Amino acid sequence: MSEPTVRAAVRFEWVKFRTVRSTPIGYAVTVLLTIGLGILITFAIRSHWHTMDPIARFAFDPVSTSLAGTLFAQFAVGVIGILFITSEYASGSIRATLAAIPQRWRVVTAKVLVLGVTTLIVSEVVVLAAFLIGQRIYAGVVPTATLGGPGVARSVILGGAYLALLALLGLGLGLIIRHQSAAISVYTSLLLIVPIIVIILPSSWQNTVARFEPSALGRSMMSVTPSSNMFSAWPATTVLAIYVAAILVVATVLIERRDA
Amino acid sequence: MIVVDHVTKRYGHTVALRDLSFEVPAGVITGFLGPNGSGKSTTMRVIMGLDAPQQGRATINGKTYRELSSPLHEVGALLDAKSVHPGRTARNHLRAMAASNGISRSRCDDVLEFVGLTAVANRRVGEFSLGMSQRLGIAVALLGDPGVLLFDEPINGLDPEGIRWIREVFRTLAAEGRTILVSSHLMSEMALTADQVIVIGRGSFITRGTVDDLTSAAAQDVLVRSQDNARLADAISAAGGTTSPGPGGSLQVAVLDAATVGQLALRESIALSELTPVRASLEDVFMELTASATDYTSSPGAADV
Repeated sequence: MSEPTVRAAVRFEWVKFRTVRSTPIGYAVTVLLTIGLGILITFAIRSHWHTMDPIARFAFDPVSTSLAGTLFAQFAVGVIGILFITSEYASGSIRATLAAIPQRWRVVTAKVLVLGVTTLIVSEVVVLAAFLIGQRIYAGVVPTATLGGPGVARSVILGGAYLALLALLGLGLGLIIRHQSAAISVYTSLLLIVPIIVIILPSSWQNTVARFEPSALGRSMMSVTPSSNMFSAWPATTVLAIYVAAILVVATVLIERRDA
Repeated sequence: MIVVDHVTKRYGHTVALRDLSFEVPAGVITGFLGPNGSGKSTTMRVIMGLDAPQQGRATINGKTYRELSSPLHEVGALLDAKSVHPGRTARNHLRAMAASNGISRSRCDDVLEFVGLTAVANRRVGEFSLGMSQRLGIAVALLGDPGVLLFDEPINGLDPEGIRWIREVFRTLAAEGRTILVSSHLMSEMALTADQVIVIGRGSFITRGTVDDLTSAAAQDVLVRSQDNARLADAISAAGGTTSPGPGGSLQVAVLDAATVGQLALRESIALSELTPVRASLEDVFMELTASATDYTSSPGAADV
């Protein structure tokens, strides 16, 4: 009995997700930031390559630099996730949703599936495009990478996964906070202000704590060779997935308990 | 049938519903009356499983709302007409709601037709007037062809044409044997639409019955004209009645009924030129019922619940 109902819930959420303008706009911004900023950043590196110092050239990672646009696109996908639920609280349509599907965990499950899968598909395509375009721009001047190189395909795939996980993080925060602007503030604080707080900490702490920030995890996921005090790609993915899962569990417990 | 069973709902320190119990019988239109803030919407939300009561429970056909696996087929509700994402079209809103409970797309077109929104189905709901939103809300309520319907203040903000339309809709739905609970703060509206009413005040049950029952049970004044109002007034006071000046030199008598006033006049040999029972207006009855709501935990009408 439960499976067809979850399937119906997924169909319900899918129709809702694709029939508001914020969804295509959010993904358009994601594409624009990932690819557009990727082009700008790789061009900038290409034109300064000959004046860069040798150590920087030695440590240069053509993969993560071509994917640097994702560190801006992470705000777009987070907002997509936040709006997917807070727009329902803002308009009051959450009551229609819960009247249609009173088993609230099913609503959360369906939203996670719809948002997660859609964002993963879009992000993988966009991140791959940013990578290929970046390498084309580097070609002839800057060292380039190919998908067959060690760790390259992994970085590209995890770049897409990073964006999908952050969209789910936004959804979880939106479910807990319920107010759009407050949820966006908390989300951007996690990504921007937490790293600044970490910088204030004593350097011995910094080395242990900094790797746990969401955006640092993202950089680890997209690096072919992460720096020594950072997580390597798979552990970083696991830590981020645990964050997202924990927030979604809290969100589910809260939506089951709170009045709508 | 809807059963509200000893429901108490608090929001922080505010008690919205106190030990509220009533049943909504199947197949008729039941009016749910109470002044603004008396807990009608809270009761509706508790029935819909949106808000959880601290005590008691509400069931529909024997199940709590959360136990319904395909609720739109059993219960349709219009709680707040404006609670639709303003950027979505009417048709897409209906299609999404339909998908949630495995309802066909053709049913969406049918209910759009029924509420007269076919022509504007592809417009964004944000552009809708309140009347159009109410129609859309009714279309959603009818999507799953449910046997039980809940409407919270459906005529609020409607123009006369919309009010007339909504009354016709209720009659049509009731004629099909559906159970309908309609809340309102206007007794006169319920007199026109409801077969029976349940009255609550400050979160507590006050009474139930047909509108006629409630009106006739309410105190009736008597209007009297005589050759000597002053002496008649004294006689009435002596008999336990109260008087006040009525329109056009008449005397308005409370507490005593017309027969008693007539006998008093005969005994005092005062000739009467008029003796008229004044039926209380529906709004008077309503005010009288709900004014002292806090003093009531139940009332004579509660016995037959």
